[in-house]
Amino acid sequence: MAYPPAARSSPPRQPSVKVILASADVQRVVDRIAHQILEKTQGAADTVLLGIPTRGAPLARRLASRISAFEDIAVPVGVLDITLYRDDLRRHATRAIGPTELPSGGIDGKRVVLVDDVLFSGRTVRAALDALNDVGRPASVQLAVLVDRGHRELPIRADYVGKNIPTSLAESVKVTLAETDGADEVKLYGGTP
Amino acid sequence: MVRRRPAILVLEDGRTFPGEAYGSVGETFGEAVFNTGMTGYQETLTDPSYHRQVVVQTAPHIGNTGVNGEDDESGRIWVAGYVVRDPARIGSNWRATGSLEDRLATEGVVGISGVDTRALTRHLRERGAMRVGISSVDNDPQSLLTRVRQAPQMVGADLSAEVTTAEPYVVEAVGEHRFTVAALDLGIKRNVPRRLATRGVTTHVLPASSSIDELLATGADAIFLSPGPGDPATADAPVALAREALRREVPLFGICFGSQILGRALGFGTYKLGYGHRGINQPVLDRATGKVEVTSHNHGFAVQVPGAGSGAVVPDQVIDTDFGGVRVSHVCLNDNVVEGLRAVDVPAFTVQYHPEAAAGPHDADYLFDRFAELIEGRALSKGRSNA
Repeated sequence: MAYPPAARSSPPRQPSVKVILASADVQRVVDRIAHQILEKTQGAADTVLLGIPTRGAPLARRLASRISAFEDIAVPVGVLDITLYRDDLRRHATRAIGPTELPSGGIDGKRVVLVDDVLFSGRTVRAALDALNDVGRPASVQLAVLVDRGHRELPIRADYVGKNIPTSLAESVKVTLAETDGADEVKLYGGTP
Repeated sequence: MVRRRPAILVLEDGRTFPGEAYGSVGETFGEAVFNTGMTGYQETLTDPSYHRQVVVQTAPHIGNTGVNGEDDESGRIWVAGYVVRDPARIGSNWRATGSLEDRLATEGVVGISGVDTRALTRHLRERGAMRVGISSVDNDPQSLLTRVRQAPQMVGADLSAEVTTAEPYVVEAVGEHRFTVAALDLGIKRNVPRRLATRGVTTHVLPASSSIDELLATGADAIFLSPGPGDPATADAPVALAREALRREVPLFGICFGSQILGRALGFGTYKLGYGHRGINQPVLDRATGKVEVTSHNHGFAVQVPGAGSGAVVPDQVIDTDFGGVRVSHVCLNDNVVEGLRAVDVPAFTVQYHPEAAAGPHDADYLFDRFAELIEGRALSKGRSNA
C-alpha cells in the first residue's frame, strides 16, 4: 500500500535551536566559576587570568570583576592570541592576527588561568599552551571554560566548567556575550530531530 | 512574588552583605556559623545548641520541604538568626504542615535571604566564626556594626540555664524496660531519649541545675550528659557533677557539650575551634574498630588532650588522669580534632558528635548500644560483687 501523498510532501524540518543558558544563567555560571577560582587558588594569590580571543577575553575580564566584587582582590587580566599557533593554519585562509596583552606583572612564576568560551576538540587550548610557552614560564596553568561540549581530540580537560553540554558531532554550540554580540546566551543548534 | 524588604548582614570585621528580609522583620545579633547540611534545616533550627548563633546555610535552596510537626528537636526555634541564599517559594512534602518562612515569622526569628552564602562561608572559614548582626529595619552598615561589636561573645558564654527544661520529665522505654538513665539537660535534643527508648531505656530528663543526688534519686542506672550551647569552660557545676559521678563509678555517656564536660571532669582543657564543625557528613574514625563513620556534627569547641589541638594526629595511647586511663576513641579525619573519649578504668565514654543524627546519617547509632552494654556490664559486675 502506498503512503498517503501528504506524508511525503510535509515541509522540511527546521533546524532546531535550543537555548541552553539564558542571560541570567550565564551570569550565575560566571559567578560560580569566580567562586571556584577563589577556592581552588587559595584566594586567587599569584593568579593571572588570560582570555583566549574572541569571547575568552571578555569572560576573563568578567571573572576578574566578580572576584574583585566577592573578595576585593584585583586579579591581573590579559589576552593571549593563539592565531599563529593553530595546527590548521595551512588548511584555512589567512586569519587576522590579534594582539597578545600580558598584564604588567608578566606570567613568570604565576598561576595562569586560561579562559575560553567553548571547549571542544582541545586544539585551541593546545595552541594556547604553545603560545604561553613563547611568552613566559608560569608556575602552573589551569583552564576555565563557559561550556564543555565534549569530543576531545587531545588529552586536555578543564579545571572550571560553567556547563557541561553533551552533544553529538552534528550539533553546534554557539556562545554570545553582551560585550561581543549584544546579549549573553548559549545556544545549541541542529542535530536532534 | 512576595516583595521583600531590603536587609543587611554585617560581620564583626565590617564586611557587609546585602540581602532581603526573610522570616521576621527586625534586628538580631549572634555568632555567625555555617552549617553544611543539605537537608535537615528544621532539626538545625530547633537544636538548642544553636542558641545565640546565626546560622548560615551553605545549601543554596532552603525551605523546599516546608516544616512538619515531627522533626522538631525541642519546643522552639533556637537560632538567633537565619541566613539563606534562595528560599523556596513553595514548600512541598507529604509531611509538611506549613511553610518555613511562616514558622520563622511566627517565632520571631529574623532572617536574611538572597545573601551570597558561598562568599560568606569562605569568609568565616578563613577568618573564623565571629559576631554578626542582621537587620531589616536599619540599613546603615556603620550603625549596625557598632551594635554587632557590643553583642556578647561566644567565648565565656554560660547558656545552659537558658535552654534547659524548667521541670523534669520522663521519656518511657519502648517495649520492655531494661534500664533507667538520668539525663542532665544542658540543651538536649528530642532524638536522644528517643534513641535510648528503642533500647529499653527510660530517660528522666532533669534541669541543668540538678545535683547528682537528684539525678540518682530517679533510680538511674547511668547518667547522660546532654549536648548544648555555650563555652564548656564556664560549665563548672556540670563538671563537678561529672567528677562526682566518675568518683562513684556511675556509668556515664556524654554527647557534644556533654563530651566537653566529661573532658574537663577528667582534667583536660577545652578550646574554641576556628569555625567549628557543623554539618551532616563529617568523617570520624572509631579507633576501636578502625571503621570510619559519616556523622552529624555541631560543635564550636573541642576537648584539648595532650598532643592535640594543632591539627596533629592525637597519639592513640592511654592518657593518665585523676580517674585512671583514658583513650581518645574517635578522631575527625578532616582536622584530627578529638571526637570521642573512653575511660579505661571507670565506666564512662563520650562523643563530640551526634550519634542521634537529627539530621544526619545513622552510622553512629551503635553508640547507644554501647551505652546500653556499658550499663548492662556494670549491673552484672555489681551483682557479682554483692553476691
